[in-house]
Amino acid sequence: MEETAWQLSNPILGIVAIVAMFVLFYIVSFISNKKSQSVADLYVAGSTIGPVTNGLAMASTYMSLATFLGITALILELQVPFIMLWIQLILSIPLITIIYGTSLRRMGAFSPTHFIRERYGVSASIIAALFMILVSLMYALGQMIGVALAFEMAFGIPYLPGLLVGGLLIVGYVTLGGMAGASNNAAIQMVIIALMFIIPLGAIMKAVGGSGWFFPPLLYADMVPAMVDAMPGFFDYQFSPKWYVSLIGLTIGSLGLPHLAMRIYTASNLKSARNAMVWFTFIIGLVFSATYAMGFVGVYATQTQGVSISSADADKLTLILNLVYNPEWVTALVIAGAIAAGLSTISGNLLAIGALLSQDIITTLKPSIPTKMRVKLGYAAIFTGGIVSILLAINPPAFLVVSILWAFGLAGVTNAPLIIVGVWWKEANKYGAIAASVIGGFLYIIVSPFVFPSVVITGHGVTDGMGLSGAMLAIPISFVLLIIVSYVTNRMPSLSRHLTPDADKRLIERIHGWSNVNPKRYNSQLGAAITVILFSAVAVWALFPWNM
Amino acid sequence: MKAYRMEVRFTVIMTLLLVAAGNVALFFSIFPVEGMLFGFPIMYIIPILSGWFGILFLAILANHFGNKIDAEIEKANEEEIEELEQRSEGMGEMEDGRDSMAVK
Repeated sequence: MEETAWQLSNPILGIVAIVAMFVLFYIVSFISNKKSQSVADLYVAGSTIGPVTNGLAMASTYMSLATFLGITALILELQVPFIMLWIQLILSIPLITIIYGTSLRRMGAFSPTHFIRERYGVSASIIAALFMILVSLMYALGQMIGVALAFEMAFGIPYLPGLLVGGLLIVGYVTLGGMAGASNNAAIQMVIIALMFIIPLGAIMKAVGGSGWFFPPLLYADMVPAMVDAMPGFFDYQFSPKWYVSLIGLTIGSLGLPHLAMRIYTASNLKSARNAMVWFTFIIGLVFSATYAMGFVGVYATQTQGVSISSADADKLTLILNLVYNPEWVTALVIAGAIAAGLSTISGNLLAIGALLSQDIITTLKPSIPTKMRVKLGYAAIFTGGIVSILLAINPPAFLVVSILWAFGLAGVTNAPLIIVGVWWKEANKYGAIAASVIGGFLYIIVSPFVFPSVVITGHGVTDGMGLSGAMLAIPISFVLLIIVSYVTNRMPSLSRHLTPDADKRLIERIHGWSNVNPKRYNSQLGAAITVILFSAVAVWALFPWNM
Repeated sequence: MKAYRMEVRFTVIMTLLLVAAGNVALFFSIFPVEGMLFGFPIMYIIPILSGWFGILFLAILANHFGNKIDAEIEKANEEEIEELEQRSEGMGEMEDGRDSMAVK
């Protein structure tokens, strides 16, 4: 059977929609960039963004092309378990805000690495920064694949030219805009994304006979009986509780994503950061629910309406549904919306890479570099990061979500433990941090199927590829190493004399809002012991058969 | 220590509640439930509703209590500083007393 070539028959519609969107974003970037005078302006927009804009920007940064294209593809592949996997990703900003976001905002951090440098010293921060650059690149890789697919479909051009044209346009936009442009644009992008996803979804639902088209995120129950008849296993959980436990690794991973945490530092004050968290939860819940509905409708269309989608086209499901059921100009707008989703996330990723390379590595190693030079270095790093992510996307994995979720796991192993334990436990030190980051990080990379395909934990392709199994092993090991190595080395005089416990204690007290140091605060040995016991048990459990 | 304990308890409890609300599917994978709600299988729609409205409700609570704890820490800080000042004044008076005694 010949595969259908899914593309707009009139590419001019796609060109007009995409060009109009980019013109709007470039104008906002240009105006915002005029105000970008300092390093603080470039990375955290001078910490002046209000709660609604910031909440929208957080949602926009988080709601990447994965939400637009990737989730629906994996709902087609895995059905309900993938929806259950995605639901808990909404926890990212609420957990970041309550566990460490406000503390780091109080500290005035530019990035999570900034905190790691203050807390654990230069060596640990450079190691963490290198891992975070890898995290951001893998995250941006998934977005670049989606951008290429959207351009491929809009203009009927092959994948590679689509990648080069789309990728370079986006990299240019981010390099020109900085975080102020990104934050202001991200808010606009979020509105565009929501409108261009949910309204066309309503039209698709109406076309396939759904009566709840006026509120697609939740009103598709009338299609359930036909779905169960056509595909009785759609609602099955399929996997054991262990698989569902491993999803918590993604939750922890989202706490270590540098580009997401940076959104909290753009808040004008702590109250505003917390308000933004509420806005984020409302908006992302709406869009995520719409995405599950799109996945449901996609499977419904393939099972009951005779729409045939090859596995190679799975990532294009959202766009294909629009092409089949909506007028072409709507599909053109949806493609523009998808690109907007990729654009806002790539902005966040590249700005994080810029901050990591120029602030956390180069300026740390050479503190005498003048401010102007640092801003220039930031721009150069953003541009280089963009080019590298384009080059990586030339030979993409089967599903664009895979590289993104793998990045979550790596962030959870190498970054999240250092920040969480560092904020809440005074005993954590640089030896523990380096051991956790290096050993945990390499272990996670080794057990992923991308390096040694035969050294994997479950043998279930998507579970290993998304890093679920690797994260369930490596994240607990990372926490345990951080606690035990810190505890032991603090009691070894030959090593402890190289530490700065007094400065660490002052820093922890200060970021929690205290003026004085109290030895009883943030020093619980019981909490540390419970964490070690619990996480050791989880790591051992991860090594037992998964029976998949 | 009251504000500190409040901060730690709030963070631990809120983290556990949020993780639970976002991972209802884990509970259903251990304790499966049959039946329908709002036209959907219960094991499908409850995780989705909890993953949106449940977490939104907890985020509103976290917003409220987070601001309250900040105010408590600020208050406790002022008390600690006042206590320290009083102690140093006390020490100062004792030293003055000793000085004056020494002068006499």
